[in-house]
Amino acid sequence: MKKIISLLQLIALLAILMLLYSPLAKIGLVPSLSSLLGGGTPKIEDTPVIIQQVKNIAQMFTQTYYDEYVYDTGVMRTPPFNANKRLIFIAKGEVISGFDLSELNEKSIIRRDKSIVVKLPPARVLDVVINPSGFETFIEEGDITFEDSKKFHEDARRIFERNAREKGILKNSAEQGRQMLEKFFRLLGFETVDIIIPESR
Amino acid sequence: MNADPRKKSRAGKRLFILAAVILALLVLNVAVPRRQARPLLSARTLKDLAELATVEYSVTKIVSYKDVAWYGDRKILFETAATVKAGIDLNELVDQDIQLEGDDGVTVTLPRPRILLFNMKPEHMREIFNESGILRSDFSNEEKDGLLSQGEKDIRAKVARMDILERAARNARILVESWLKKMGFATVRVLFKGKGGRS
Repeated sequence: MKKIISLLQLIALLAILMLLYSPLAKIGLVPSLSSLLGGGTPKIEDTPVIIQQVKNIAQMFTQTYYDEYVYDTGVMRTPPFNANKRLIFIAKGEVISGFDLSELNEKSIIRRDKSIVVKLPPARVLDVVINPSGFETFIEEGDITFEDSKKFHEDARRIFERNAREKGILKNSAEQGRQMLEKFFRLLGFETVDIIIPESR
Repeated sequence: MNADPRKKSRAGKRLFILAAVILALLVLNVAVPRRQARPLLSARTLKDLAELATVEYSVTKIVSYKDVAWYGDRKILFETAATVKAGIDLNELVDQDIQLEGDDGVTVTLPRPRILLFNMKPEHMREIFNESGILRSDFSNEEKDGLLSQGEKDIRAKVARMDILERAARNARILVESWLKKMGFATVRVLFKGKGGRS
């Protein structure tokens, strides 16, 4: 009987210690028990990176738009038991715009003595970048599959592009491209530089 | 067998106090909210760039992770893809880098190429395999993002060791030469800034 009581007291003391530790871990003052027992961050296996394609390009990046966005899927009910699921994540990334100079041809550059006329294609969004390191899960409730989460991540990318366009990325991009090329051609000795850029849609 | 009843009651009291403490701590545990990263406010900013990307690499990588434990395993496998663009930062170009030689000659000294853009699009990622033992929890999205971030880091490191910068330099030279020739320059020399000067 005495032994059982001592054992119970020991178990109770251990439980108290764990319960004292847990709130401290919750508020981030000490590492969580799972991270202590699990040995920290999981490590992926070393696999090769394989080149699928190498492409020669000629893209001039003239504007970047940085954004951080909190994406909330809202509460979604899934049949047949109407289980709730919800995902809130923070997306950090950028939208790059500029010109695809591979569209330039012989007729795009006209030179007469010390003057030059360059016809550029319209400025456009060249890349929307939100890499895996740019996603931070804030709240995850219910069973959210990888395909679900991919769909939300793609949606976040569309929001980034829309925000960048609303902020005037293409107009700024065209202006920056014009200034940059004007400076470059003047350094090359041209006295009159005319950069023609059609309006972006 | 015939234990002192006073000792017995003292042990019982002690157990009762311990149980009360445990109960109080349980309540405290439920009451303390888990610390969560506070979402940052939107930081929407536009910034000027002056970069010329001359090469694009499309690469793939299998991201695999095995969490082996005596009470069951968890295994996951992703197929990922990334595009990496490299080229030159024209902001580093200064007036002295363009030297006119007579009426139709020019020497342009370009900055050393660097990786300008790294993009891992979600639509190019696929979860091929995902299995958790009966006593193990499924991989959460947070865990999956963490594993994919490690994959991203690995691709970045391995692509940087490939010949992407050499190709970017070669293409930049060809591009600038052809544009300058289209503009009417007969003699065009394109050099690159070295660590200790021009090369």
